[in-house]
Amino acid sequence: MTFSAANVVAVGVLGLLGVGFYGLLATRNLIKVVVALQILVKSAILGLILAGYLRGQVVLGASLAITVIVADTIVAVIGLALAVQVRRKFGTLDLRSLSTLRR
Amino acid sequence: MVPVFVLLTIGLPWLGALLVWWVGNNHPRLQVSAAVFFSVTAGIASLALLFDTSSKAIISVPLGGVFGDFTLIPDGLGVFLAAIATVIGSLAVIFSIDYMRGEAQLGRYYALVLFFIGGMAGLVLSGSLLFVFVFWEITALCSYALISFHNDDPKAVAGGIKALIITQVGGIGLLAGALLAYTTLGTYEISAVLEKSTTLPPALLSFLAFGFLAAAAAKSAQFPFHTWLPDAMEAPTPVSALIHAATMVNAGVYLLARFYPAFAPVPGWKLAVMIVGATSAILAAMMALVAYDLKRLLAYSTISQLGYMVYAIGAGGVFASQFHLLSHAIFKALLFLAAGSVIHAVGTRDMRQMGGLGPKMPLVRATFIIGGLALAGLPILNGFWSKELVLESGLTGGPLWLYLIMVLGAGLTALYTFRGVWLVFYGKPRSTLHAHDAQPAMRIALVPLAAGALISWLAAGPFSQMLAATLPFHKIEASSTLHIAEQVVSEPSTLVALLVIALGLSVWWQRQHLTGLVTTFKGVQNAAIQNFGFETINNSITRAVKNTGEALRTTQTGLLSWNVLGILAGLAIILIILAWGV
Amino acid sequence: MVSNAFLWLIALPLGSSPIIYLAGRLTRKQPRLKLAQWVSVLSLLAAWWPFIALARAGQQSGGFSLTFGAVDLRFDGLGMLLAGVALMLATLVAVFSGPYLTGEEGEEKYFALLNTMTGAMIGLGCAADLFNLWVWFETMAIASYMLVAFHRNQPGALEAGMKYLVQSAAGSVLILLGISLVILQTGSVNLAVIRSAAVSLPGSPALLAAGALFITGFGVKAALVPLHTWLPDAHSQAPSGISAMLSGVVIEAGLIALLRAIGALAPTTASWGYLLLGIGALNMLVGNLLALRQTQVKRMLAFSSLSHVGYMLLGLGIGFAFHVEDGFTGGFFHLLNHGMLKGLAFLASGALLYTLYISRQQYCPLMISDLAGAARRYPVAAFTLSIALLGLGGLPPLSGFMSKWQIFVAGFRTENTWVIALVIFAALNSVLSLAYYAPLVNTLYRQEPSQAVQQGKPMPFLMNVPLLLLALGSVVLGIWPSLAGWITGPAGAVLMTLVVR
Repeated sequence: MTFSAANVVAVGVLGLLGVGFYGLLATRNLIKVVVALQILVKSAILGLILAGYLRGQVVLGASLAITVIVADTIVAVIGLALAVQVRRKFGTLDLRSLSTLRR
Repeated sequence: MVPVFVLLTIGLPWLGALLVWWVGNNHPRLQVSAAVFFSVTAGIASLALLFDTSSKAIISVPLGGVFGDFTLIPDGLGVFLAAIATVIGSLAVIFSIDYMRGEAQLGRYYALVLFFIGGMAGLVLSGSLLFVFVFWEITALCSYALISFHNDDPKAVAGGIKALIITQVGGIGLLAGALLAYTTLGTYEISAVLEKSTTLPPALLSFLAFGFLAAAAAKSAQFPFHTWLPDAMEAPTPVSALIHAATMVNAGVYLLARFYPAFAPVPGWKLAVMIVGATSAILAAMMALVAYDLKRLLAYSTISQLGYMVYAIGAGGVFASQFHLLSHAIFKALLFLAAGSVIHAVGTRDMRQMGGLGPKMPLVRATFIIGGLALAGLPILNGFWSKELVLESGLTGGPLWLYLIMVLGAGLTALYTFRGVWLVFYGKPRSTLHAHDAQPAMRIALVPLAAGALISWLAAGPFSQMLAATLPFHKIEASSTLHIAEQVVSEPSTLVALLVIALGLSVWWQRQHLTGLVTTFKGVQNAAIQNFGFETINNSITRAVKNTGEALRTTQTGLLSWNVLGILAGLAIILIILAWGV
Repeated sequence: MVSNAFLWLIALPLGSSPIIYLAGRLTRKQPRLKLAQWVSVLSLLAAWWPFIALARAGQQSGGFSLTFGAVDLRFDGLGMLLAGVALMLATLVAVFSGPYLTGEEGEEKYFALLNTMTGAMIGLGCAADLFNLWVWFETMAIASYMLVAFHRNQPGALEAGMKYLVQSAAGSVLILLGISLVILQTGSVNLAVIRSAAVSLPGSPALLAAGALFITGFGVKAALVPLHTWLPDAHSQAPSGISAMLSGVVIEAGLIALLRAIGALAPTTASWGYLLLGIGALNMLVGNLLALRQTQVKRMLAFSSLSHVGYMLLGLGIGFAFHVEDGFTGGFFHLLNHGMLKGLAFLASGALLYTLYISRQQYCPLMISDLAGAARRYPVAAFTLSIALLGLGGLPPLSGFMSKWQIFVAGFRTENTWVIALVIFAALNSVLSLAYYAPLVNTLYRQEPSQAVQQGKPMPFLMNVPLLLLALGSVVLGIWPSLAGWITGPAGAVLMTLVVR
């Protein structure tokens, strides 16, 4: 395995993916969950760009990445808005208290 | 004209069901009149069909795709069962006028009864396996809804759901068989299955044969699916008479009779059918012997008598089984309706609280005894002729040991029938129940049925000719009533059976002197009271499913982290499966 | 002419959504006018015209393509099916939601988002490239997040919305990673190009991994077990019209997106079909067992959706693994029926929830015991709910029976012992499902009314209309199943051409 840019980015994709999912599994704070989602999406964006680059389709990869950023921002905004509302209604951002719907 | 009558037989009750529902509960008189009108006219239409049967499809509508053709065939077997459904159906509706008077939600009651009558007629008249299954399910749905009619009573709700689930589980046999027949033969036509059965691969044919046997056993409350019928007795009594004695429970017997020519060569099938029938007949007779609930007694006796019909088919006696079906439909409907009059009058089903009711309700007693004598198989009532024919075909077409079991069953039948009659109508009154004789509408239903129990056997000859003419694959011998009667009387087996029946009667007569015998059979008696353990099996299956459902609910933790873990686990499993390469 | 109709089909629902929002905003002072609702209903009704024109023209030509710049759309059988189901439910839900939302704040947002979601689903069905598919999918998802959390002062709705958002977004990331892998391997996102490239790449690990990512990513939305955990919360907490949309068409849209993606990868391996069959079996069993012991009506219906996705997967899996066209057609027929029946079930129970609780400003779950005796006061809602439940339980003569039957026929056509065993397993599951549908029907017709029924308000007339229409549709298709052939047949044919080499 050579130390090429592509390899570094590939490691980055996997690393971000791992960090993001670790965040989703381990954090208990709602804001951190939204942050973890953001990290996950960054991994996907990097992946798209990397794939486009490796196939010589840089424009394709980049245009996809930009679209994803737009959509992802909307999701983040809604997520944070919901988090604010959760804080108001539940009085906490702890995920464990956000488990009234079960069974 | 025939297509019109066929459509009227199915369509009139359904139209009536819609109308009764539409009229609503605020117009009870109009509602009841509509129910009576539509059921009686359907009955007349079906009786008209009896004179013009044929083995050809008279209505055929292609539905396209995998749904085949919708066909209706007015052959002897179908028309005869449709006539039973509509005629006894209209008598049950008439009986209900008095029996159900003043109850709430009568619209639902009459609509469902009419819907059932139409569905039952459709079941026996359709020539396509898909639609046999469709109507099969419709009758199961109506049966469920009517068992649970008094749905504020948890016992009625439980009985309904039990009946639905058990018959549906068995129905899967019919479903699978119909699908297999379609994918192999490319058609749902029953006649095609009968015609091409010899060309089918043997494994496939036995799948069909045993699948249909399972479906029939569940529908006809035969061993090992028989447990639902006694619990179905929570239904209003006219419904028990119609659905759970005279018609729907016969659908299983009908199915076996219909396919007998195709399945008879399947190794082991005939013996399996006979064993299912004989086991049901003997076990249910024993349970009837210890029952104290009047309706449950009749339910056990229905299981037992259906066992006789199933046994007859296994022994090759298709005509005997259908003849017994006719007799049984009449006398058992009579018994149920008479029992309904008793229950309506005294307000309980417990025979321990009855006794000595005879003088207060002479008509009910007379009709009940006629029904009871027919059930016991005493000459010259219709049950005698048909039961003797069943036993005779068992002797010629089946092993001797099964025949002996069935003869023993006949003795037990006589014994429990007389025990029931005695407990209800004779002896000293065991409680201060107020009783009155049957009301007018009830009489209108009881008297024709009692007459039927006395004379319906006279139709044996024409009935055999009708079946012989329109069932080309069954090879039924056309005969005359006189010939059939001669045949029954001249057989030595008739004498044997009569002796055993007389023995059963004398056991009841001499019961005070036979206490030693009772203690000997104490174990059997206890087992019979415990339903021979079948209830326990049912309950443990139900409990296991419920507990699994409850346990699985803990996987729905409500915690986001676990949910995300589920996604990752799903991905991992799919990746592993793909890497493995299925 | 045809491309105009195509444009209108997507533009009418999508383009009307800002107008709805503005109309609602401007008439905020006159809530009785319900302007937002009527603009929404009218725009959705208007979208039927191009739909019918396209469907008619499509019978002859087999499909149309439309390209705006980088957006590649194709109206084929699959797109027609999804557009039809989405339009049908959205129109009826828009009619239904007017009375349901009386007195609620933010009606204009609700209807604007409903239209956006519908438009996005129509687009999703017609997407001809992977990325396009993702964009429509994400648009639909975003609209649905906000709709699930529409009662934003209800803690339950917030919790459900939050979980739904996080799980769905995580799934969406997996889809993007799958797209990256596909680009890496084939250099294109166009589904047709990918499919022809996949023919020469059997067993390619990158494409297999991409397929797994697609199944998982879209599977979150399609509620495949064990990715389903968001579904019972979201479906039970959303406003009932949205529950009907989510269960009746949004999860199916996820399924269709999944099929589009996997269909393009079909030549890679034969395992896709077996995977779908396995997941289908799991869905049926888990969904039924979880629904069995529920006490809340909407939560029970939500779990039953899992089992119905299982039936669809059974049919589709048979199509993928054994190339039996009836598997696809039956699966899509079941999709259509589930849209109608589950939509009806959610709308009817929503109508009851509204009259028993919401109209009295109470927000509490509708318990099964609350429905005791509902039939006497609310005959239409109770009757149509019964039809929906019995149809879902697979009882004839309702359409749910017929689609299950078609799937079962396909299963027997494979002549494979395992598939036949699976069909019998599915039939047993159908019986199991009756153990929770039938008692609910019984409860509706109880003699003794529950306290909630006694205190309930009268049912608004307009609510009954969608209920009756859906019930009628299900009875008609139950008696004459081939009437649905014009919409299920082409959809099945599309997948058939994808799987057969």
